[in-house]
Amino acid sequence: MITAHSLSKSYGSTLAVNDLSFEVREGVVTGFLGPNGSGKSTTMRMILGLDHPSKGSVTIGGRAYHDLRWPLREVGALIDAKAVHPGRSARNHLLSVAQSNSIPTKRVDEVLELVGLAAVAKKKVGKFSLGMGQRLGIAGALLGDPGVLLFDEPINGLDPEGILWVRNLLKQLATEGRTIFYSSHLMSEMSQTATDLVVIGKGSLIADTTVDNFIESHTVATVSVRTPDPAGLRAAVERAGGQIEAGDDGELLVTGIDAASVGDAAHGAQVALHELTPVKASLEEVFMELTSSSAEYQSGLPGASS
Amino acid sequence: MSSTLPTSVDHNFDVTGRAGVRTLLASEWTKLRSVRSTWISLAVIVVGGIGFAALFSWVFANHWAQSGVADRAQFDPVRISQAGSFVTEIVVGVLGALVITSEYSTGSIRTTVASVPHRPAIAVAKGLILAVSLFVVTQITAFISFFVSEAVLLASGGHQVPVGETIAQQIRSTSVPVVSISQAGVAPAIFRAALFLTLMGLLSLGFGLIVRNTAGTIALFVVLILVVPLLIQLLPSSIRDHIQPYLPSNLGTAMASQTSQHTDFAGTLLAPWIASIWVVAYVAISLVAGTVLLSRRDA
Repeated sequence: MITAHSLSKSYGSTLAVNDLSFEVREGVVTGFLGPNGSGKSTTMRMILGLDHPSKGSVTIGGRAYHDLRWPLREVGALIDAKAVHPGRSARNHLLSVAQSNSIPTKRVDEVLELVGLAAVAKKKVGKFSLGMGQRLGIAGALLGDPGVLLFDEPINGLDPEGILWVRNLLKQLATEGRTIFYSSHLMSEMSQTATDLVVIGKGSLIADTTVDNFIESHTVATVSVRTPDPAGLRAAVERAGGQIEAGDDGELLVTGIDAASVGDAAHGAQVALHELTPVKASLEEVFMELTSSSAEYQSGLPGASS
Repeated sequence: MSSTLPTSVDHNFDVTGRAGVRTLLASEWTKLRSVRSTWISLAVIVVGGIGFAALFSWVFANHWAQSGVADRAQFDPVRISQAGSFVTEIVVGVLGALVITSEYSTGSIRTTVASVPHRPAIAVAKGLILAVSLFVVTQITAFISFFVSEAVLLASGGHQVPVGETIAQQIRSTSVPVVSISQAGVAPAIFRAALFLTLMGLLSLGFGLIVRNTAGTIALFVVLILVVPLLIQLLPSSIRDHIQPYLPSNLGTAMASQTSQHTDFAGTLLAPWIASIWVVAYVAISLVAGTVLLSRRDA
């Protein structure tokens, strides 16, 4: 379990992370969502003791990272897959990391096998593709068979097959009871992989909830309707408590009441309907809306539990 | 951690120990030996050291008859055998810098710090591995260079100098003087000449910890070794003479000298063991400052 208490980080006058508190629980994949530059990587670095928090603290299973005796046997991290000397072979890179925590050499070959790099183990990392680099980074995170894993944008540069592989791996690792904290700027990725969700924008917490709750509480149900009698429908919908506005191409968009109520209202007013379709705003849109306006960061949004 | 993944990791492993200097020594050695630049640097040290010793010994031996009083007085058969030091100095500076700055340029310093959060251990382990590697290579090179130089000088008509020959006798000598390893002060001078190079590598490691950038670190090192001495030359001698003995390059020359008898001629060199202490002090300051900054700054 990862616990952040009022975590803050400022660089000069810039506040990169602002009073962030959240918990990442065991046994599920927790998505860490935010636009690029929102402070995800800074938060990850503070969890790993790389950056010193300006205020607040973060613990792993109740202990500061600095106090872990064999850090890599407890926490594995993929922070930057390119952060390897290009002239060193994949195997020597992993071996040097393993030795620092007295992890058996045999484990180096195991993780190379696991991520599918065994055949290129002796190749220089500088010659690796972006996808191979990501796999090497994941291998490094898995070296100590840790109970807590942090992945910062692990699918960057991966092909569709690689993305699927990462998703399945993360889910499998979570099933084994591990704590998985997985950052991405892609909402769609979170909805595919994560169960819990920590959302930040400009360094502040926007939501700490489950993916399902987040979608539910932030998605406004809209019903798309077509009718030969817009005026009649408008009156009927408004009587039923909904709002109606014109969309493109004769489409009318109803909010405030669900599709069944729109149908009933139209029927009651004897207005013919040519189309009646419930529409959900895409998660991407919800996320963009939540993180685009700076005014919203300062006011605790609905759904942001503290 | 129960796992469906294959694992050879024992989670009950050594619950009293911790990741630190001891575990990092293996890790740092793997890092050092697994990049080509290390082996190129070490090869340059060996080949350059022996090659320059042979070349300069040959030149001096064959030009002894034409050499003037000052050249003869300053000639030191040990120092000439270590002529390659001037090249090696730069090479150890680059190697010492790269040990740490390559981690900053690639970002792998974050992996290292995450592996061992107690950061002074990182500086200590890197320093020890660098020091031992450089010590072994420079000491072997220095002694081989001496024997090669001795052979070249003798083959070119040099004569064995008796212990305690004075500078006056050396100036009058008709052929280039040669000393043997068994003579008093010779072996320690060779040892110190090589020790100076190891220390210069550590000085550069300290600079690297402070500057964190390869080009900047090497520039700082080269400026200190090559440019500062030239600038000091521009000062009036009343000031210059007080600074010159403490410049790293002159301390290196002093360390490679057998006695202060040879070194005092120009009035700019400290006694060999005093010079050694100054160099160790510079290295200590650079490494301590670098280690403090490594601990304080974000990785």
